Amino acid sequence: MTLTTPATASAAVAVAAPGPTRRRRGRRRREAVTGWLFMLPFAILFVVVFLIPILVSIQSSLFAQQSAGDGLYGGGEIVDTFVGFDNFALAIGSQTFWAGMGRVVLYAAIQIPVMIIAALFLALLLDSLIVRRPGFFRLAFFLPFAIPGIIAAMIWLYLYTPEVSPFMQYLPEGTDLMAPGTILFSMANMTTWTYTGYNMLIFLAALQAVPRELYEAARIDGASGWQIATRIKVPLVRGAALLAVLLSIIGTIQLFNEPVIMESANPWMGKDYTPMMLTYNSLLGAVSPSGTGIASAYSVLMAVIAGVLAIVYALLQRRRGEAA
Amino acid sequence: MPSQFRMIRTAAFVAVGAMSAFGLAACSSDAPSNGGDSSPVTISYLHRLPDGEGMTPVADIVKKWNDENPDIQVEATKFDGASGDMILKLETDINAGNGPCLAQLGYAEVPQMFVKGLVEDVADEAAEYADDFSAGAYGMMQVGDAVVGLPQDTGPLVYFFNATEFEKLGLAVPETIDQLASEAATSAASGKYLAAFTPDEAMYWLSAQSAAAGDTWFTTEGDEWSVDAEGPGSQKVAAFWQGLVDDKQVITTERWGEGFTQALNDGSLIGHVGAAWEAGFLLDSLDGTPAEGQWRVAQLPDFGAGQVSGPDGGSGVAVMKGCEHPAEAMEFNAWFNTQIDDLASQGLVVAANGTPQTSEKMLRQFGGQDVLAELATASANLNPDFTYAPGFASLTKMNETAAGVPDGTSTVADVFTTAQTTAVATLQDLGLPVAE
Repeated sequence: MTLTTPATASAAVAVAAPGPTRRRRGRRRREAVTGWLFMLPFAILFVVVFLIPILVSIQSSLFAQQSAGDGLYGGGEIVDTFVGFDNFALAIGSQTFWAGMGRVVLYAAIQIPVMIIAALFLALLLDSLIVRRPGFFRLAFFLPFAIPGIIAAMIWLYLYTPEVSPFMQYLPEGTDLMAPGTILFSMANMTTWTYTGYNMLIFLAALQAVPRELYEAARIDGASGWQIATRIKVPLVRGAALLAVLLSIIGTIQLFNEPVIMESANPWMGKDYTPMMLTYNSLLGAVSPSGTGIASAYSVLMAVIAGVLAIVYALLQRRRGEAA
Repeated sequence: MPSQFRMIRTAAFVAVGAMSAFGLAACSSDAPSNGGDSSPVTISYLHRLPDGEGMTPVADIVKKWNDENPDIQVEATKFDGASGDMILKLETDINAGNGPCLAQLGYAEVPQMFVKGLVEDVADEAAEYADDFSAGAYGMMQVGDAVVGLPQDTGPLVYFFNATEFEKLGLAVPETIDQLASEAATSAASGKYLAAFTPDEAMYWLSAQSAAAGDTWFTTEGDEWSVDAEGPGSQKVAAFWQGLVDDKQVITTERWGEGFTQALNDGSLIGHVGAAWEAGFLLDSLDGTPAEGQWRVAQLPDFGAGQVSGPDGGSGVAVMKGCEHPAEAMEFNAWFNTQIDDLASQGLVVAANGTPQTSEKMLRQFGGQDVLAELATASANLNPDFTYAPGFASLTKMNETAAGVPDGTSTVADVFTTAQTTAVATLQDLGLPVAE
């Protein structure tokens, strides 16, 4: 993008302002210290809740929990044994892992486009001044995101259960929203309901950062409202769309709340329906092989896959952006 | 509502899981003791008893002990969540050196905990109290030669039925599964069902029936495990349910879904093969309806091995690794688990000898029947040879296969095949010797 926002322009001017070299160096150091101080709260949390757990996971994925002795109960003790990449070999060779991955990728392929387009549409609507009370609608669209995921999933489970659902009786006889062929869509519906408002906010923030002068200029040139939306607004929120899609891909790979709640009522799904469920239940021992080693290997593998998908998507977008 | 209960539990389980994943779970605090000679010993005890309305709370029972035993003070903590998550918490806490001294473990979890080295062998201390408990239940706390604690309750399968409806239809209480099958055919013709096939309970429910039919799934051959989940008993159980499901003579529904409650409430379900502990809440939704007081409980019909029942649940209190005062802990453990009236109020079929008082609520719901005496008989009839092997938790895979039974995508026999292959694979994954 070639647009330079006023803020960065003035900052560039400030840095380039002439002054005595020594004083400038001193001030720079002070500024650097101030900068690092501002960074500190983020840096500490980033290290504690992000870097350390990741490193611990990677370390733990190289160990397996094995019996210390022989006999029927393995000597009654488990020791952590270094096994190199054995856990990864197990994880990569696991059919259940890839079956789960296939489910979430299919899910992502359907759900993310629907949600992103809906979010963009709602954001454009709120930004277009057609709506009388944007504040109210902004909050209303966002509200589902404020409901804790597990509670939302439980509410949806009730809505999908024929015996207690308020609307299932109006659907055609025999409709089963929680059958093997429909449950992915039912869960996609839950996720879409939760996150559309959240993604709308990302788009809305991007839209409101667009200088209003652009629209005036376009209007003077004779652009209609539709043209302003499709030719100016949508291209300008491409960066926001990239962010929203990347976050959605990462989130979807880790799909957990919805399938866990659904599985409690639909045991056919199994404890390994999504990679995240497989990981968690491997840790609990409800799925074998079990233990922290294999569970960590699954999670590292998931992180790598989510990362690769995100990078591929970002690269594709950039190429398209350059081509445009 | 059981399903609501289950879902709330699921929610709690996920919440706790998430919390412990982020390391926010509250650490169990060891009470600081000043180390003086006269300072009392403190025993921490983690349980997951229901502590529901109208029950004697664990805290009250423990208070009684604490008042009488100033030297051994017990701190009981309730774990709100599923058993699987409690195991995870115990594992994490014990490895971090701040686990509790005593904790409630499901019988099927005991071998696994032993393999992981998370429980103490208290065989010497336990021997002193063994006579106070049913031998079968005591055996559940045994791992090889080691004893890790004392049993608390048992979950024998029993048969619940609506006596009034049975009388109307001219049915007798089934004494064998053949009788149950033929009566089910008769009553199904008039829209009444004598049992429900519940896929979501398959793991414990079907393994217990297999035990009732005389099978033992896990035996030892020399130094190796031998798994036989597809023996003659399992085949009998499979044939029995398959016939009923194929001929639509039973209701097929999730035990913890709305379908079960609805069938119970609308009167189409008039019999149920269930665990003894279900007596505590099975009939709650019928309170205040004409069906209140019509149900009774009877022994499980003979599955071909005589008057034998199988274990569907049940748990004990084990001494955790690192407990500094195992003798004192076991002293409390023995006392606590022989408070049979208090424990029965928690809906438990106690493992200790003696028959507790049947509660007012049960008398009302079961038309004055001495329910707990009936359940005690079932408990005494438990197949004493049926024990669990390490890794039994992975047999939840059975539920997945069982879910295909109602629509015919899998058979009941397949469920036992799943049990067999999963159990063998899990033992191998754990690195334990298993005979193929």
